[in-house]
Amino acid sequence: MAATLAEAQPGIAALATGTTSPGDPSTDPTLEPLPPTRKFKLSDFKRVRTLGTGTFARVVLVRPANATKPLEEEKNPEVYALKILKKTEVIKLKQIDHVRHERAILADVAGHPFITNLLGSFSDHDCLYMLLDYVPGGELFSYLRKYRRFDEPTARFYAAEIVLVLEFLHEQQGGVAYRDLKPENLLLDQDGHIKLVDFGFAKRLGYKDDRPVETYTLCGTPEYLAPEVIHNKGHTTAVDWWALGILIYEFLTGYPPFWHQNPIEIYKQIVEKPVVFPQEPVISDEAQDIIRSFCTIDRSRRLGNISGGAGRVKAHPFFRGVNWDDMLSRRHRGPIIPPIRYPGDDQCFDVYPEDDARSTAYTVEMANKYDRYFEDF
Amino acid sequence: MSLPEAYQHEIQALNRQVLQTCPSDILQFCADFFNSRLASERAASLSIFRDRGTPSPGFSPSPRFCPSPTSHFAMMSSQFSSPFGANSNPFGGSTSPMASSVMHSVVEEEENDNDNGHDHGHDRDHLAPGNPFFSGAFGGDASTEAPPTMRGPPTNDSYPAQYNFGRRTSVSAESLKPSADSYDNWTPPFTEKTPEQIERLKHAIEGNFLFNHLDDEQSAQILGALVEKPIPARGIKVISQGDAGDYFYVVERGSFDVYVNPCGFIEPGPDGLGNKVGNIQAGGSFGELALMYNAPRAATIISAEGSCTLWALDRVTFRRILMESTFARRRMYESFLEEVPILSSLTPYERSKIADALETQKFAPGDTIIHEGDPGHSFYLLESGEAAAYKGTEKVLSYNKGDFFGELALLNDAPRAASVVAVTDVKVATLGKNAFQRLLGPVEGLLRRTRYQGVKTGVEEMDPLQQE
Repeated sequence: MAATLAEAQPGIAALATGTTSPGDPSTDPTLEPLPPTRKFKLSDFKRVRTLGTGTFARVVLVRPANATKPLEEEKNPEVYALKILKKTEVIKLKQIDHVRHERAILADVAGHPFITNLLGSFSDHDCLYMLLDYVPGGELFSYLRKYRRFDEPTARFYAAEIVLVLEFLHEQQGGVAYRDLKPENLLLDQDGHIKLVDFGFAKRLGYKDDRPVETYTLCGTPEYLAPEVIHNKGHTTAVDWWALGILIYEFLTGYPPFWHQNPIEIYKQIVEKPVVFPQEPVISDEAQDIIRSFCTIDRSRRLGNISGGAGRVKAHPFFRGVNWDDMLSRRHRGPIIPPIRYPGDDQCFDVYPEDDARSTAYTVEMANKYDRYFEDF
Repeated sequence: MSLPEAYQHEIQALNRQVLQTCPSDILQFCADFFNSRLASERAASLSIFRDRGTPSPGFSPSPRFCPSPTSHFAMMSSQFSSPFGANSNPFGGSTSPMASSVMHSVVEEEENDNDNGHDHGHDRDHLAPGNPFFSGAFGGDASTEAPPTMRGPPTNDSYPAQYNFGRRTSVSAESLKPSADSYDNWTPPFTEKTPEQIERLKHAIEGNFLFNHLDDEQSAQILGALVEKPIPARGIKVISQGDAGDYFYVVERGSFDVYVNPCGFIEPGPDGLGNKVGNIQAGGSFGELALMYNAPRAATIISAEGSCTLWALDRVTFRRILMESTFARRRMYESFLEEVPILSSLTPYERSKIADALETQKFAPGDTIIHEGDPGHSFYLLESGEAAAYKGTEKVLSYNKGDFFGELALLNDAPRAASVVAVTDVKVATLGKNAFQRLLGPVEGLLRRTRYQGVKTGVEEMDPLQQE
């Protein structure tokens, strides 16, 4: 067996610079306090099953611990989605900042019609918890893959609801960038409306010394990354408009415009290649134009980022005929009505293994060093 | 862990069919069975599209979603699952994304190759080419008896058969904040190199998309930050497939073999490295994904000869160099812009958008930056160097770092009242009227928020570019 480089070069580990800010209290003197939420404890709930898993999080369907009736017999069951994050994984993956942003922003935006509502949050020795409304329709991703692609009225409906969410986050919430738009992060409620979930990368860009602050941390999903993120040029809320262009493309064709098995090849295409449309299915001129206008490398030309902001997006011909007031007040049901048999039904979600992979313990040393980041969760 | 109920239903139904039919070609039979199941499930689920005009009451399930106990090939299960979902393929197991990326990387060229469907050939025979699946499904005139199966595209060139339709995982690098924000001064690491080494390195990275957009200072800092890494012997693993990736490498001397194990990581045993798929010589590089975020290595790289040398660059250093210089430049632009009187009525947010859109241009000594008499379209900030304004041959003004000229072009298209010529090497940041308007809307409203004419700055008289 060949020797490893680390053995040959004992010094290599020391080369890794430890200059990142989260996790090292000394470099992060300003810890913004989190907005207050209702507190619960894990024993208040019992687990029904897992609804989704991520790199360091798991979302489970839960009921009150004292619930006894089978879920399908309950007319008005109390069911919630509980997002569970392991502290050790959060630390290992250097996501402390992101988790705090997620918790803070979810608390701030609770109540928006197209965003999952945060009902409470709490922590225990090993984990962080966020209690959210249960959205029973499952992921828009599942429907998109099942139907292969959406027709334009369907794509327009979802795109319009997303425009309203982005307008809210960017313009009414003081510059919140969402940064992970994709079909996997859009759920459908019982009436077929969108709920944006997973604010794990959302960030309030805010102002410092009265000027807006761009941000530099690369995050998102490879196919949906904006060119300025790949090039580390500092990015703003404009990344969400780029991603919306990719999303509409994927709605209409069934696959994103830039894809490859090797992520590096995706990034090369994003920074070097224009969006091209297939001959089949035929994409309307308005749809092609809005996709190209969003997926414009030059941010001084990108729709949504240019003057007029979201208002300009709403006025684009692709959205002609959309009644934005009706949209925001959810006056009409969505184009897909999820097959929900009873309020607590979980059949729209795929099945995930329930057993947790082994994980390292959250030690006293770690608690001493990191719990200050988690104590107000 | 128990198998999903829906899966057990499917398998039991398949068992019954196999017992009944005793097929000779088992695999073909199973494939047909599942394709048929998929087709009927899809036909049923499509009905919700057709039904969408008639709202069904709140929570009552669509009747077409009810399991039908009568036929094995009809709706057997009530479980809604995405056929392409990563975990819904009963035989998929937990394939690592790295493994699939490696396995499929060789077929990437076949995207539009009409012959690439041998292995799906059987399915494709059932498809009606040119009858795209979806138009019918939405139009309400779809024929229900034969919706295409999921395995083959409706037409060979309209749907990328190799696209991985599973859920996509988010990626994230460690969070970085500019040091100017946190008041700790940071200077990038620096390793002395000979001019020849610098040239070789430049050549090695010049075509790389992660480097080719950098400016001269950024490139110089990156080249300085690369660390020499002697690899003294043959057979040393520089990177191991599946391991965390933090470094990008350029080969200075020697050569390295590339091994890929289809399972996504090195397995125990003599063949654990997998197949040798390539060799990297001096001037080549590998591991660039590590400069973006920490992803598992896609291959194992082993020195193929004695006394090799590598240059290494870690992600945090790379990203930090780019971030610090971008951050510093933006703050410089913003502070310059604050000094421009006609922009004084802009909010910090608006100035930041302008700073974001400024483009750098360089001029050599003697170059003319703007010509007297030309229509004015752009405004300039002097980032470095010296320039002078001339009316005819008479020098009327000198410009230094932080000075600006031509800003009245943002207000009107009047011809330039003077020429501006670079005295030394000059770097300017420039913005056109069109870009300005795209970003902030009609200039008139913005720039005349405070009546420019009334501002006692002296700039109007000072600016020789503006005619009276």
